[in-house]
Amino acid sequence: MSSEPMISLRQVRKMYQGQARPAVDDFSMDIAAGEIVVLVGPSGCGKTTTMRMVNRMIEPTSGSIRVNGRDILSADQNQLRRSIGYAIQQVGLFPHMTVAKNVSIVPRMLGWDRRRVEQRVDELLDLVGLGAVEYRDRLPRQLSGGQQQRVGVARALAADPPVMLMDEPFGATDPITREHLQSEFLRLQKIIRKTIVFVTHDFDEAIRMGDRIAVLGEGSLIRQFDTPENILAHPADEVVARFVGAGASLKRLNLRRLSDVAWEPAPGRKPPASLPADATLHAALDAMVAAASTQVGVLDADGRLQGLVGIDTLMRAIGDTAPTADPRAEAALEGAAGSVPTEGAA
Amino acid sequence: MTLWEFLQSRQDILIAQAQEHAGVVLVSMGIATVIGVLTGALTYRKPRLSSLAISLSAAALTIPSFALLGVLIGPLGLGYAPTVVALVIYALLPIIRNTVVGLAEVDPALTEAARGVGMGRLRSLATVEFPIAWPVVLAGIRVSTQMIMGIAAIAAYVGGPGLGNQIFDGLSDLGGVNSTNRALVGTIGVIVLALLFDLALVLVGFLTVPRGVRTGWSPLALFRRSLRVV
Repeated sequence: MSSEPMISLRQVRKMYQGQARPAVDDFSMDIAAGEIVVLVGPSGCGKTTTMRMVNRMIEPTSGSIRVNGRDILSADQNQLRRSIGYAIQQVGLFPHMTVAKNVSIVPRMLGWDRRRVEQRVDELLDLVGLGAVEYRDRLPRQLSGGQQQRVGVARALAADPPVMLMDEPFGATDPITREHLQSEFLRLQKIIRKTIVFVTHDFDEAIRMGDRIAVLGEGSLIRQFDTPENILAHPADEVVARFVGAGASLKRLNLRRLSDVAWEPAPGRKPPASLPADATLHAALDAMVAAASTQVGVLDADGRLQGLVGIDTLMRAIGDTAPTADPRAEAALEGAAGSVPTEGAA
Repeated sequence: MTLWEFLQSRQDILIAQAQEHAGVVLVSMGIATVIGVLTGALTYRKPRLSSLAISLSAAALTIPSFALLGVLIGPLGLGYAPTVVALVIYALLPIIRNTVVGLAEVDPALTEAARGVGMGRLRSLATVEFPIAWPVVLAGIRVSTQMIMGIAAIAAYVGGPGLGNQIFDGLSDLGGVNSTNRALVGTIGVIVLALLFDLALVLVGFLTVPRGVRTGWSPLALFRRSLRVV
C-alpha cells in the first residue's frame, strides 16, 4: 500500500459481560481514504457494534483502532466524536432546536465564531439540497422524513470530518425517498470524498453505496470483503451466496452503465426504446423487455441517438469475470486476513 | 359585620398576611424545585435510586400535615422555619417524579445522537435532555404549588405566617362576631392566591418551553397537561 489507511482496525474484539461469545471477534480491516466500505450482514451479526467502536460509542475489549494515523483509544472520547461524522437511522435531530442549530452543534462546540458557523450552515444545507433560506429556521417536526435525514447528514458533515460513520442512515424512509437519498449522497460523496463506514442489513443498498463491501457473519466474522462486482460474480461461500440472494446476475447489471459497454453504430430509424448513456444495464434490459425488443438506443445528454446496445452485449457484460483490476482489491485481501479467501479478486 | 365590611376594616392585615402566604410558598417552591430537579436528574438513569427517591417523597406525603408540623416544632421551634421545611417536604414528590419521568421519556435516539456528536453527560443533560423534559417538570411544579398553597394555611398552627392565621382564629373563636368572616376570608384568599400562582406558572411555561417541544397552548391542551401529573 502506498499510503496509510484512513481507518485501521486490528484484532478488535468486543465481549459483553455475561455472554458466552464475543459480539465482535478478532476483527481486522483497513479502509483507504475516500472510500465507502459497507458492512452488511444479518441483524445481530455485530456490524453496528463494529462501526460504533470506531468513535468509541462502544469501547472495544481488546485490539487497536487507528483513525487518520491516530490511536483513538488514547484520545478524549468527546473530542474524538466531534472529529468523526455520525449519522444514525433514527436521525436524532434535537426537536427543540432549529435546523440551523442542529446542523451547527459540532462547530459551536468547537468554538467557531458566529459568522463562520452561519456560513457553514448555509453551505451545508445547500449541499444536501435544502435551500438554506427556506429551511434554516424550521423545526425538525416541520420537515418530512427524507428532509430530516438530509439534515442529519448535514449535521454529521458540519465540522468537515474526514471520516463518517453511517448506521442505516436512509433506513427510516420509504423506498422511493430512500433511493433518491442514496443517489444524492453518492453524488455528494464525489465532491466531499469522505472515508465512510456504512452499515446496512440490505444487500441491495450495500451494492449501491459501497466501493467495497464486507459481508459479515456472526461475531462480525468477515466472510468476504471485496468490490460489489466481485462479490456478486464470485461469492466466497454458500452463506455469502445465500445472502446475496436470488438474481445476482441481474444485480450485476445494476453496477454497469450503458456508457461502460461498447455501442453499435446508431441505425437510421429509431429503436423502440432508448435510454440516456448513464442508465444502468439493468434499466436497459428492463426497457428491452418492456418494448419486446432485443436492442435499446443510447441517447446523449441532448437526447440525440448515439448508438445501439443489443441484448448480447448485456450478456457479455455479465459473463465477464473480474472487472478492471482494482488496487483496493489487494487491500481487501490483506485487510480481511483470517477470513475466507476471496477467489477471483484481481 | 358583613363580609365586605370585614374585608374593608381588616384590609391592611389581610394584605400583609396574603403577602406572607405568597412569600412562604414562593421560598418553599424555590427550595423544593432545586432539590427535586437535582434529585431527579441525579437518579433518573438508575431506576432503583429514582424509585427510592420517589417512594420516600411519596411516604412523606402521607404524613398528616398537622403531625409533621408538630414534629418539626421540636428541632426547629415555632414560626417560619418549620413551615418552610414542611412545605418543601410536601412539594418534593411531584417535582422529583416529573423530573424522573420527563428525563426518562426523552427519546433514546436523542441521547445517542448527543453522545455521537461529542457531548459529555452534563452538556447533553443541560442542552438536550432537560429542555425537552422541561414541560413535564413544570407540570410537577404547578401541582406542588397548588398543593402547598393549601398546606401553608395549616402552618399557622405552628405560628407560621400567612392566611392560615385568619382561618385558625376564626375557628378557635367559633360563635364569635367575626368568626365566619375570618374563616371565609382566609379560605377564599388561599384559593385566589392559588389561582394567581397557577396563572403565573402557565405564563412561565409559555415563555420558557422551547417552541419545538410545545404541544400547543389551547385551553384543552393546558388542561390535559395539568392532569398529566398525579
